[in-house]
Amino acid sequence: MRGIRKDYVLGRVSVPALRGVSLDVERGEFVAIVGPSGSGKSTLMHILGCLDSPTAGEYLLDGVSVAGLGGRERARLRNRKIGFVFQRFNLLPRIDLVENAALPLRYAGGIGRAERRRRAAAMLDRLGLGDRLDHKPEELSGGQQQRVAIARALINDPAILLADEPTGNLDQRTSAQILDLFRTLHAEGRTVILVTHDPGVAATAQRTIEVVDGLIRADSGAAVVA
Amino acid sequence: MNLLEAFRAGLDDARTNLGRTLLTLVGLTLGTASIVAVLALFGGAQSLSQDILSEIGGAGTLVVRNGEVEGASESARARASRGLTLDDARALDTLPGVRRASPTSTASARIESARDAFNASIEAVSPAYLTLNDIEVQYGRWITELDLETRARVVVLGSAYAQSLFGSAAAAVGQEVRLGRERYTVVGVLAREELIVAAWEGNALEWRNRRAFIPITTHQSRTTGGDEVATITIAIDDPGERAAVEARVAATLLARHGVRDFTIGGRYDSAEEGMEYYFVFNVIFLMVGVIALLAGGVVITNVLLASVVEKTREIGTRMAVGASAGDVFAHYLVQAVLITGTGGAAGVLLALSLTSTMRALMQFPADVTPLIALAGLATATFVGLAAGVYPAYRAARLDPVEALRYE
Repeated sequence: MRGIRKDYVLGRVSVPALRGVSLDVERGEFVAIVGPSGSGKSTLMHILGCLDSPTAGEYLLDGVSVAGLGGRERARLRNRKIGFVFQRFNLLPRIDLVENAALPLRYAGGIGRAERRRRAAAMLDRLGLGDRLDHKPEELSGGQQQRVAIARALINDPAILLADEPTGNLDQRTSAQILDLFRTLHAEGRTVILVTHDPGVAATAQRTIEVVDGLIRADSGAAVVA
Repeated sequence: MNLLEAFRAGLDDARTNLGRTLLTLVGLTLGTASIVAVLALFGGAQSLSQDILSEIGGAGTLVVRNGEVEGASESARARASRGLTLDDARALDTLPGVRRASPTSTASARIESARDAFNASIEAVSPAYLTLNDIEVQYGRWITELDLETRARVVVLGSAYAQSLFGSAAAAVGQEVRLGRERYTVVGVLAREELIVAAWEGNALEWRNRRAFIPITTHQSRTTGGDEVATITIAIDDPGERAAVEARVAATLLARHGVRDFTIGGRYDSAEEGMEYYFVFNVIFLMVGVIALLAGGVVITNVLLASVVEKTREIGTRMAVGASAGDVFAHYLVQAVLITGTGGAAGVLLALSLTSTMRALMQFPADVTPLIALAGLATATFVGLAAGVYPAYRAARLDPVEALRYE
């Protein structure tokens, strides 16, 4: 990621959210992006997650330049290469856990319903929810819901797991369990990027990047990955 | 996401908003049912009107009436013309191509029995009337040539008259009625005629049951004493020769009268007028159906727009996990078409049961043909497409970042 700028236009005023961010994240890293609210860390995450396009700069994801891609290609990248985990889980309330976890497979196309359900069930089982497959999200605790969201993020075996304040709505004990889960996933070789304002959460990661005022103020540096 | 997936996603949404969906469905169902039923009824009414036309003579008849003499004053006309007479009818009866010529006059007179009395509509006719008018004597006999020659005081009653004057059709034959100041013997009663076009309109042929027939000569002697008649109805052997027969009739009458004091016309004019009313009536119903469907469409647009706003974050989530704008667009469009399609199908079924009930209860030939059913379904689906486009567009245009932030 090189020289990323992002400007938001509010009326006639152009407000810079990111003022030139350059960043390399290697495969298999566990990174925490921290900073106060309004610092631009969320914007950075949206661009990393291909939800948003930078105003200027270049972003290579897995060697592919993302900056110039259209909406359809970005949707495809989000589907295949990125798994999102949100602060508020963002599960669809009216469908069961299996359907929730299988949602990205729906949009991936070419996978039959039975196969989608089978894979989603297997993933949920791996995350310890095998006994509640046909429950609705509201019947679960916060920690369980977040695990369903993580299952959904992992279902397409993405290159990057992007988590935005994943423990923001959870109590301490549950937070610890979820962070443990991220550690495990990282240990399995996945790239994990956490966005948080909580230094305790950030401490879980190997590398911490601090964003202030649309610029990177501190970067603990890439840990050497085998 | 392929179409099947969009279909399934739309179905999920429709099912989870079951109450709202059902309410919308009611409007669509009624709209479609109304359109389909009207189309079916109209098709039935058209075949029915053909029946009515052939029932009362239609193309195979000519009607000669007294008319004005052009360019002549009233007194000149009176001197020159005696008008149509019974002899004219006899002359026309022998023309080639004419099957029967039936002279008639109409009047009204007070009719009275021991049981009832009222003002009756009287048709003064010859025996030929029976063959031209597809009526049937149920009890007793019809008016005969002998009745005409003897100017007999006999009357044949329509079934409704027989009913009210004597309590039953069978009891009337042989009884006496007072017609004006004279006594007439009831020699026959006609079979009851019935044709229900629409329940609320009653028996369309009831007026035909409310008539009394007397020999035309009897009528002449009790009124003017002359031999004039009001109309002569002519049955043509071959309807294809109508024009030739009409020319022959005109020539004969012109030769007999010396002036053109008559008009020759068809007989189905009034029936066609009736069909026009019926047509207008149906157009109104059709418009009601179309308006109901349009209203249903607007409601669907509204419901979907509300659902798009309500589910902004959900749409953002779907986008985050890989739904493209096209996927979201398809999701909402399919949902709209699904609702209207279901409503349309239910409407077609409702119309089917309505028309088959009408057929069973009223012998009305309404038929929902596959084409009409298809038209109803297609209209409903089209309404769905039109109603879904805008909400689908709004949903697809959402910025994923904004949508995810939406509270």
